[in-house]
Amino acid sequence: MDKHDYASAARDLTQEFTSGLDPWVESRLAALQPEQSWQPNIARGQSLLRQQISRTHARISRYWSWAAVIATAATLIAFALAAAPAPRVLAQRCVDCSIALWQSISPAAPAQQNLIAVSNRVAAPDFTLTDADGKSIRLSDAKGKVVLVNFWATWCGGCQVEIPWFRELYTTYKNAGLDAIGISMDDGWTSVRPYLKEKPIPYTIVIGTEATAKQFNVSAMPVTILVDRQGNIAATHTGIVAKSTYQSEIESLLK
Amino acid sequence: MNVTAPSEAILEAATSPAAPFDIESLFRARFDRVARVVARVVRDPARAEELAVEAFVRLWRTPQAHTPQAEAWLYRTAVRLGLDELRRQTRRQRYESLLAVVRRNPTPEQLHAATEEQDRVRVVLATLPARQAELLLLRSHDLSYSELAAALNIHAGSLGTFLARAQKSFRKEYTNRYGQT
Repeated sequence: MDKHDYASAARDLTQEFTSGLDPWVESRLAALQPEQSWQPNIARGQSLLRQQISRTHARISRYWSWAAVIATAATLIAFALAAAPAPRVLAQRCVDCSIALWQSISPAAPAQQNLIAVSNRVAAPDFTLTDADGKSIRLSDAKGKVVLVNFWATWCGGCQVEIPWFRELYTTYKNAGLDAIGISMDDGWTSVRPYLKEKPIPYTIVIGTEATAKQFNVSAMPVTILVDRQGNIAATHTGIVAKSTYQSEIESLLK
Repeated sequence: MNVTAPSEAILEAATSPAAPFDIESLFRARFDRVARVVARVVRDPARAEELAVEAFVRLWRTPQAHTPQAEAWLYRTAVRLGLDELRRQTRRQRYESLLAVVRRNPTPEQLHAATEEQDRVRVVLATLPARQAELLLLRSHDLSYSELAAALNIHAGSLGTFLARAQKSFRKEYTNRYGQT
């Protein structure tokens, strides 16, 4: 079918369509014809159109602004969550910091001795661990001295409060027969070495194992154990206790 | 009858896929005709203009309709907007007439309006299925055969059947309400 045939077919269809109109209905619908004098106000229409378009543009840009704000907030939250440690560790840090704050505002807390009666003391389990130089350190090697065994970690907030005290107590009482061993529960020397470089500790530091922690029933940190000159456990402290308590107990054990 | 006959070139340029959709050109070319279609349905001419503008805004907001068939899309949307408005008005009038039973004092304007043929036709159109009302309105506005088929997205071969059915429904509804006048 060529172009002419198509035009002819369309004309036929139109004719058929027009001839099928119901004149009665047509006359009724013709009543809807607007008044001849009425002319649509194009200027008003154009003004309305421009208003609506600019309103839509404003709404779209508002949506984009909100989308940008929400996307930024979501990204920041995602980064914060990715950078933050596990919630449990975070909670532990909060507790540690709260205790540290309490300690700092009550430096003159009264000394309390929690030493176990001599007759009830049990022998401290021996362990052999390695220090930063690869040297084996045994608890039993320090027999005859009062030994402060401190379980700690670089990420433990409470430990950071206590370590300066132990540093000071060790320096003060080492000549009187105090020895100290810091057992780090970090994954290895990778994190402990930089820490020691930044904050040197004068006493022996070793890396602990799960077995060692189990021997001393360490379930949270910090845990500090005082071993008397006979190699028996004289005191076990879980969490932070007052510096004066440590000092008092060490002085008692050194006598 | 084409009420206005703006250059087809303007329409082609406005809806050309090669260039950004030019709503302003299309508006200038077709606002008059679209507003007149809506004015058939809606009694208030100012409101008809507003609805015609709304149809253009909807076209602008619908990128899928920015094709050479944009004009057909525009008519269909305009008539639908007009019919929606008409149905709202009819509903409101019905509630008002219910209240009038309580009031018992219809205003002279109401009495006059009720007798007007335009209002009768509008009431009947408001009760017809939307597609039939659209077809009758666009047909009465002298849209060409091809324009009607494109606007209502009806297959060309079925247009006559649809129209006959719509006219039958109109006649039946009208005579039921007002008798064979």
